[in-house]
Amino acid sequence: MFLALSHLQAALLFAFFTAIVMGVIGRDSDRERLHYAGYVFGCFVAAIVGISWLMYLGHG
Amino acid sequence: MADKKTKNVRKGPRPPLQKWLLPVVLGWLVPGGGHFYLNRRNHGALLLFAVAGMFFFGLMMRGRMFVPESGDLFTTVVNYGGYIGDLSTGLLYFFATWLGYSQPLLASPVADYGTKFLVCAGLLNILAMVDAYEIAVGEKP
Repeated sequence: MFLALSHLQAALLFAFFTAIVMGVIGRDSDRERLHYAGYVFGCFVAAIVGISWLMYLGHG
Repeated sequence: MADKKTKNVRKGPRPPLQKWLLPVVLGWLVPGGGHFYLNRRNHGALLLFAVAGMFFFGLMMRGRMFVPESGDLFTTVVNYGGYIGDLSTGLLYFFATWLGYSQPLLASPVADYGTKFLVCAGLLNILAMVDAYEIAVGEKP
């Protein structure tokens, strides 16, 4: 079985799994963990979209 | 300022080995295993889901496992670093290689993402092992 993901799908999947781990180990209460995981995921998505646009515009 | 800098420096003796070795080794062999052992079942389950999930997606994208290969400095650092990352997934890595998973270097961006997924699964597991260590020695509530 070969999973042919697009770059965006792979990056979002990476952000999802990484955010879970960062959320679990990064904070002390469950509420803070959930917020932190969401924050990390949001930062990944913002970086993906922002850097993608920068590369698109920079490429001309 | 000086107080802030020295705040996290441990002043007491090093924690005894028997206190943290088992959770850390279990955490290496089975992602989240250290947390399960320390009765943090929900955290262990989430870590297992995230690390194993990333590892299996890496396999399904036909990522390549690194082998310890020497050459110039860049090749050595990349291959040994990647190998340590792959090895850090513990039994997932050993089962995959034991069952014959061996992927040649493919000229495909998806396979390249898969290689990164396999290494990053190991790096995330190292973070989980450090967390298990901190819980075991009482540095974290």
